Amino acid sequence: MTLIERADRRGRRLARLVARGWDAVATIAGRVRVAREFRPRRTRLERFGAIVQLTVPRALVFVDRAFARESLDVRDEPALWNGDEPALGDHVLSAPLEAHLQLTNRCAAGCVGCYTGASPEGAPHEYGLVEWTRAIDQLADTGVFHVALGGGESAVLPWLGELADHARRRGIIPNLTTSGLDGLDRLVEIADRFGQINVSLDGLDATYAAVRGFDGFARADAAIRRLRAVKREIGINVVVTRHNFEELDAIFAYAAERRLSEVELLRFKPSGRGSRAYLDLRCTDAQHRAFLPTILAAARRHTVRVKVDCSYTPMLAHHRPDRALLAELAVYGCTGGDFLVGAKPGGQLTACSFAAPPPPLDGHRPRIEQLAEYWTSPGAFGAFRTWREAREPCASCEYHALCRGGCKVVSTHVTGDLGAPDPECPRVIDHAPRVVRLPVV
Amino acid sequence: MRRRRGRILAIKWGMNPNSSSLGVDVTFLLVGATALAMVTPVIGALLRWRKPLPVEATPATEGTKE
Repeated sequence: MTLIERADRRGRRLARLVARGWDAVATIAGRVRVAREFRPRRTRLERFGAIVQLTVPRALVFVDRAFARESLDVRDEPALWNGDEPALGDHVLSAPLEAHLQLTNRCAAGCVGCYTGASPEGAPHEYGLVEWTRAIDQLADTGVFHVALGGGESAVLPWLGELADHARRRGIIPNLTTSGLDGLDRLVEIADRFGQINVSLDGLDATYAAVRGFDGFARADAAIRRLRAVKREIGINVVVTRHNFEELDAIFAYAAERRLSEVELLRFKPSGRGSRAYLDLRCTDAQHRAFLPTILAAARRHTVRVKVDCSYTPMLAHHRPDRALLAELAVYGCTGGDFLVGAKPGGQLTACSFAAPPPPLDGHRPRIEQLAEYWTSPGAFGAFRTWREAREPCASCEYHALCRGGCKVVSTHVTGDLGAPDPECPRVIDHAPRVVRLPVV
Repeated sequence: MRRRRGRILAIKWGMNPNSSSLGVDVTFLLVGATALAMVTPVIGALLRWRKPLPVEATPATEGTKE
């Protein structure tokens, strides 16, 4: 590399850092302004202590009882703190941290791997603004901090902004996922009401088509540009498949070029139409094993923040990272029915968005408005909460308390058993008995 | 007896816009435990030094005596 090339590279890096610095300052100012207007829930007591929400920097801080006594206005010992102090993760939280609301199943994109099987008609008996407003009220009363709104394509809903405003008024921060393919004009107008908006982008140029089944990259890219022009907290969600794995570095480069705030990587789940496309799209075992070093190298090279979804915890554990560090970063595997809950377009409560509604209790399937009542019912969320009763190799795995057996949606699809160890986990694969082929004599 | 000083157990950074699963920020895995060990006390100080936050009620805290 010549001296001029080196200077040019350093200059570009410096320009990028200055731009990032400016973005950070402007973002903080924006968050302070919004937090003054709509005060989000700041605290919630838990058996282990409490959860405190920070707006700048954005974080949920899990503290023990002693810290809660020091930093919160706890006058008397709460009844919740009776008995020994458990560790974080020993018990189900007092309420979910966030709820994933599938506001509609309407979407005309027709992606081959769509996990909800969305269609232009949507689902029968979908909730409208009145019902979702009631659901938000229930979530706020229960102590939920955030909602992630999605679909289908929820940007087409004329009342989306109104619902986001209501969530803000009730102390819940609304976040949004969109394909960017429909409802964009309206979304640009209401973008400031959301905490974070991520656009689904499963590949660049031709790869987008290979993963989604149609050429939508140019439209998604145009949507990202328009949203980024009015809001800084815009990121991309990337469903990682065997077709775009080799392109991950280029996707991070794209995110850096568009000055996006994050790249969130999602494992392909065999749900909805995705169950039919699973064998064609899921990553190979070799790709899963290479996942962590690949994404960290890309994040470092392009200075982009990287997030991974809960189902990737087995692939992180494969590299034996410091367990204490994972715990401090709240990196958990399946926390459906604990840290998060989902709701279908008709309000049916689920442990996570991919899961079927849980078994009925007292003959009734619960709806999202009945969350508080259902949350503490014995047997609530079925096998999602019985992950401690794991079989081998999970039972003896040092990461099991964090990983919780991996993704139950993948387990159910592949093995037919929701409680089975995640069949794509490298440790589970290594543990499986090898078929020894004896020579034919 | 001297009271034990409180501890931060975990910090979940950022927000999760993804409506299908729970995303966590793993950027810290790039820099390791040392960087997090430097950030955590700053967050702790931020929480300790400001006016104590009110405890917001939830169904789970209904038994709380105020």
